[in-house]
Amino acid sequence: MSHAGETRGPLVTVLVPTFNRRATLREALASLVAQTYTHFEAFVINDGGEPVRDIVDAFADPRLALIDRRENRGKAASLNEALVRARGTYVAYLDDDDLFYPRHLQRLVETLEADASCGVAYTDLYKVHCRVLPDGSRQALGKVVNVCRDFDRFFLCYFNHTLHVSLMHRRDLVDRTGPYDESLGILIDWDMTRRLAFFTDFLHVPEVTGEFYAPVADSDRISEKGRADRQAFIATTLKIRTARPPKPWPRMPDLSIVALPDGPEAAGAMVRDIYAWTFMPYQVLLPMPEAALVRLRIRMPNFVPVATADGATRETRLAAALERGEGDYVAVVPPGTTFQMLWVEDALHAATRGDGRTAFALPGPKAVAPAFVLPTGALARVLRGAGGRPMAQALADAGVTLRAPGPTEYALQFDRALQEAERLEEDGAWERAAHAYRDIADRFGNAHWMRQRRARALHEAGREGPALDLCRDLNRRPTVGTLILEARIHRQADRFGEAIDRLEEARRCLTAKGSPCN
Amino acid sequence: MPHCERITVQLNAEHVVVEEGLEQHYEVLKELGDCHASLGNTDRARHCYEEARVLAPEKAGPCVGLGVVELQFGNLDAAERAFRAAADLEPACAEAYGGLAMVRQHRGKHAEAFDLYMACLDKDADNLVALLGLFQTSCQMGSFARVIRYLEVYLDRHPGDTSVLFCLATLQARDGAMDEARQALEMILVLEPENAEAADLLRDVRRRQHHLAAETVRS
Repeated sequence: MSHAGETRGPLVTVLVPTFNRRATLREALASLVAQTYTHFEAFVINDGGEPVRDIVDAFADPRLALIDRRENRGKAASLNEALVRARGTYVAYLDDDDLFYPRHLQRLVETLEADASCGVAYTDLYKVHCRVLPDGSRQALGKVVNVCRDFDRFFLCYFNHTLHVSLMHRRDLVDRTGPYDESLGILIDWDMTRRLAFFTDFLHVPEVTGEFYAPVADSDRISEKGRADRQAFIATTLKIRTARPPKPWPRMPDLSIVALPDGPEAAGAMVRDIYAWTFMPYQVLLPMPEAALVRLRIRMPNFVPVATADGATRETRLAAALERGEGDYVAVVPPGTTFQMLWVEDALHAATRGDGRTAFALPGPKAVAPAFVLPTGALARVLRGAGGRPMAQALADAGVTLRAPGPTEYALQFDRALQEAERLEEDGAWERAAHAYRDIADRFGNAHWMRQRRARALHEAGREGPALDLCRDLNRRPTVGTLILEARIHRQADRFGEAIDRLEEARRCLTAKGSPCN
Repeated sequence: MPHCERITVQLNAEHVVVEEGLEQHYEVLKELGDCHASLGNTDRARHCYEEARVLAPEKAGPCVGLGVVELQFGNLDAAERAFRAAADLEPACAEAYGGLAMVRQHRGKHAEAFDLYMACLDKDADNLVALLGLFQTSCQMGSFARVIRYLEVYLDRHPGDTSVLFCLATLQARDGAMDEARQALEMILVLEPENAEAADLLRDVRRRQHHLAAETVRS
């Protein structure tokens, strides 16, 4: 496929899966052919829905190709079918009810081309709350920036902080991640994004380059329907969190969790807790006598039963498990370990930044033996020199310090700091919240987002001067939210004319389709 | 790890964000109407309020805005209809009752206005328009005690509001509570040394206190 006047640059493949959304598909494709970056091929994949050939043909654009399937096989199958045909260096996504702004592809290509070490880039999008009118058109009730935040591998393993429709990645990464998982009914985008994070860092472009729609009535979004079925949602989440693409994983730490329950009675509960609370990639190794393992009959993904002799010591069982584990790090989990949110991720996060001579303790004040995370190689050395001594002694003798991770070593530090700032807001301490947002931006990134928060906090604190200065600066690249905030500051100072100007801008932004505010 | 549970809660609380965004377009139109009304652009204000009403027919705000515009033009019947519609849509809407009170006050029905201002303040003790309206009607009716209580409640929350402090001092002076009135006026002059009205009233209060003391001595 080629296009007259095409931009020089790598070819981008855009995947547009569709199912029974003729009205919005037309708008979505219009936003695609209006891209300033023209060197793309696009596959519209009709997943067994109403005919859309007339819509695609109406554009008379050779860059658009239709894959017209009779059978409805789901979005993952649609994407996989198109990926097989894709020729682009990069792959981007456009849902049939979403819109790109004209520079969407260009910003992402520029970003990826400027940093060859990163294989994925993503932008922010407006979430458009809308009412669907009788004629099928959508009336915007609000446009809120869905801030995708700066890349955080640990957070991404817990929750998808990107939007798939704002994402672009190198096509060759799919050779390593594998295709979309067609057995998943929901969250297929998070599953793929999470797998991409095993192999590359992501780049966040904090600009709004498109919009996706959220009707106020009963949502027809598949992901939200799926969430309504809680059990299915939990099962899917577990499946995604236990996905382990083929190694090597250049960017993802692998963790061997060695469960050391006192006996088979406690083993089931301990293993269940591990699966419930762990979100970073892991294997669970359970060293126990074979008879007990047979009786337990645990059938979970990434579960590795390790047969040991009857009466084996805890250290012997641990050594046996270590031989079977694939992880770069080992979590040693004796009875009494406390399972809770981030139970192992904080220690793992600290260990990935440690010197290999520190074992980071897991929570568990009543643990019967040290519970900790340590690099696999370091633990192997400790065990080799243990000579039957208890673990605490063996660690000390090997020169390994055992301690809890400190706050600056925790995972999800940005989220913790953000919650502290939000708590200040809840307490009405707006001025302190404003300081906190500046501090967060300095320490943890997400600068543009934090500046928006800071502007609002300054306004609430009555610091109208600094709030206005910040708003004006932010509104060089305005959003509906920042325009409204600036208008309110003007209005409070009886500058009604300026307030009206900002509100009119916000209004234009709310009613515009397919273009940003500025 | 005290924050962990909050992280989970936050991640699952997407609906909070949804609620924020749902009213954005309505708010823009309503605020545009308010700004135009403040500048006297009544036609534009009306237009914005009408658009806002279409977008959120369940909201009282646009009706209140329309009522205020009609009141500015002296269209008391139209204003009353708009404020009544607002009160019907949102019975807890303090501004609707404040608007109805202003209409009654314009019609010279001070007792009804007084009750409606009270209804407004019951819903929003911080409503300054109602407080000042209550102050005016109570002066016209000569009934101060209930009003003083509302003013004091307001001042507990906004201790530096000199306009309300002045109203309180005026009512206290009229009610014969000269010591309290003097204290309130002295407070105003601490906050605003150039406040001529407060200075005049303070002189008047001191003079009356002096006369009162002299009469007490004489008797």
